[in-house]
Amino acid sequence: MADWIPIALSRDVPVGITRAVIVDTREVMIWRGEDGVAQVWEDRCPHRGMRLSLGFVRGNALNCLYHGWQYGAGANCLRIPAHPDLTVPPTIRANAYAATETGGMVWMSSDSADPPPLLPALTPVITLAIEAAPERVLAALGGSTAEPLIGLPFAGGTLQLGWHRAHAAKTMLHATGAGADIAAATAHLRALRQSLEQEAAA
Amino acid sequence: MPKLYDYVLSGSCYKVRLLLSLLGIAYETQAVDFFPGREHKRPEFLALNPLGQLPVFEDAGLVLRDAQAILCHLANTYDASGQWLPRDVRFGSVMMWLSFAGGELMAISGARMIAMLNYAGDLAALQAKARAALRLLDDHLADRAQAGGLWLVGATPTIADIAMFPYVALSHDAGIGHEDYPAINLWQRQVRKLPGFVGMPGVPDYF
Amino acid sequence: MSLTDDRAALDQWYTLGALQDFPAGAEVPSRLLGEDLTVRRLTDDVEVRAAGRALPVRTDYGHLWTSFGTPERDLFELPESREPDRRWIHCGPVRVRASGLRLVENFLDLAHFPYVHTDILGSEAHPEVARYEVEQRRDVDELWATKCEFYQPKAAAASDEGQISKYMYRVVSPFNVMLYKTPPTAPDRWDVIALFVQPADEAVSVAHAFMLVIDLTSTDAELSAFQQMIFVQDKIVLENQRPSLLPLQPGRETPTRADLSSVLYRRWLKEKQLRFGTEPRTDLQSTDLPHA
Ligand SMILES: N[C@@H](CCC(=O)N[C@@H](CS)C(=O)NCC(=O)O)C(=O)O
Ligand code: FES
Ligand SMILES: [Fe+2]
Repeated sequence: MADWIPIALSRDVPVGITRAVIVDTREVMIWRGEDGVAQVWEDRCPHRGMRLSLGFVRGNALNCLYHGWQYGAGANCLRIPAHPDLTVPPTIRANAYAATETGGMVWMSSDSADPPPLLPALTPVITLAIEAAPERVLAALGGSTAEPLIGLPFAGGTLQLGWHRAHAAKTMLHATGAGADIAAATAHLRALRQSLEQEAAA
Repeated sequence: MPKLYDYVLSGSCYKVRLLLSLLGIAYETQAVDFFPGREHKRPEFLALNPLGQLPVFEDAGLVLRDAQAILCHLANTYDASGQWLPRDVRFGSVMMWLSFAGGELMAISGARMIAMLNYAGDLAALQAKARAALRLLDDHLADRAQAGGLWLVGATPTIADIAMFPYVALSHDAGIGHEDYPAINLWQRQVRKLPGFVGMPGVPDYF
Repeated sequence: MSLTDDRAALDQWYTLGALQDFPAGAEVPSRLLGEDLTVRRLTDDVEVRAAGRALPVRTDYGHLWTSFGTPERDLFELPESREPDRRWIHCGPVRVRASGLRLVENFLDLAHFPYVHTDILGSEAHPEVARYEVEQRRDVDELWATKCEFYQPKAAAASDEGQISKYMYRVVSPFNVMLYKTPPTAPDRWDVIALFVQPADEAVSVAHAFMLVIDLTSTDAELSAFQQMIFVQDKIVLENQRPSLLPLQPGRETPTRADLSSVLYRRWLKEKQLRFGTEPRTDLQSTDLPHA
């Protein structure tokens, strides 16, 4: 499952929302319509390039902010408002990534060559942006850049941290835990964030 | 009728317009040529507000400056329910966020004027302050969400949310996106869903 | 970044702003095509210098104009500037992190009115863009879009009801564009709204909006606030288009019939072999490139 990347906590992407995420310098967006399925797309409308994360969800469709082109869950364009009577050709589509949800996280894959990961249900704790290189963060937390999850011992149990590279100097952590004290785990992770950022700035 | 001295691109004036709209208060506006005219630095305007800043609000003989003070006045005068400015244990926390909205968060306003209107100043320094303020807010909102809360203070929206929302939503004008702040993303959506919500240029009011 | 070597971009006139923004005696820094400039306003003269060199200067239409190269034509004609009953409104420079060509293309676009200027220049209930005409006027080398019509809830500062506005668009050079639209109070005249773009860098522009309008009721502050409101509504779109540079490569974006003016604008830019503010192309042999 090495090519699958956790990019958000599922909790942070409720129905009706759009969310922008930077994954390895690429602009990606997540949205969730009424069917409850999380979609992960390139953050760019095929019409005139507008970032779709600024768009809005209605029912089961995503609408681009610029000219209101409407996209369905299959990434195909359903409606071009400037031409209300036009049957939109099926070739007009947003660029969708493979997406799945497991372990309380939204995952994406560019080539989906490997099967998606399958994790037990985990309780969401927090997503943190850390201004430090992923290599440093993973070394400090005992993880590996080859693995999408870090098992972090905490209070006699283990937190499962999904991570992704925003860019060379920023790491996103998506923390989950089974049965952990959420407030205590959050405080612990924020303290880690502080020490990692101080170290990176030094 | 109450009167708002207004500039359409001002995030501080937007704080007042947003609460006026949420409370359904009728008012008139007087457009002040803030940019490029710098009308707020002319004697006639300085007579209203010697600080030379927008917004200014006139209501029943009162002349008020400072967006946060105006929000307090509006809630105090027009919100019989007391929801927007609660007079109980929440009062101090609401004041704390009002002070933050008119204080640390205004780094976004400063950075925005430099980035957008070519004002003089240290853009990188203000952006760093703006990011620190946004992180503090995101941390607070994440804690609130973990405890099941949707708003900055207590179980209902208050003027703390209204004072904070504009410059958070306008941070992209200062070159700062919201990718790092998932809790802010969720909270902004709650604010947008309030009945009577209005946007401003740079804050689209879709949904 | 330093001054571009793009001949097509160098040989054009650009505005650096309204003359009133350059106080007499003061030296004002500016930037154009990747190069720093200084502007000095003497009593009657204006001096523009870059890297020690004095650049040509024009002071037409209340604006300061300059060029790094040798423009083929003189500055465009604006006959409305001679009509005595027109109000001249300078809306102030606004900096936008996007290619100036994206700004011009947005200015030519009708289809975004219902979504970006909701309940002002368009409404979601009337999103249709009717067929309009676009032609390249070879004699003046301008691009014109005519017979444009759109339903507008609040077409201008002085509107108090909706109207079907008639528009004409006129692109006078790659970075300078204007529109003519029916004023709510004088249906037999055309208001002129110009967008003069100062391309500071490839993906950083300064927009100078300028209006020559017939309006007997609104104050200057109201007119300028209306136009600033419209333009800053566009800014959020412009800064979030990807790529920030205008793609000229076929297939990169998906135009429809409503985008006819954009399609012909891009074709016109290609014909001019303009590169500044465009996305580097991969579909050309290196020998096809205007400059090696
Ligand atoms: N403390 C004031 C500050 C508002 C403020 O900064 N207003 C800006 C416009 S958004 C202004 O008038 N700036 C001019 C100046 O400070 O000189 C408030 O919160 O209302
Ligand atoms: S850019 Fe998305 S609809 Fe036009
Ligand atoms: Fe527009």
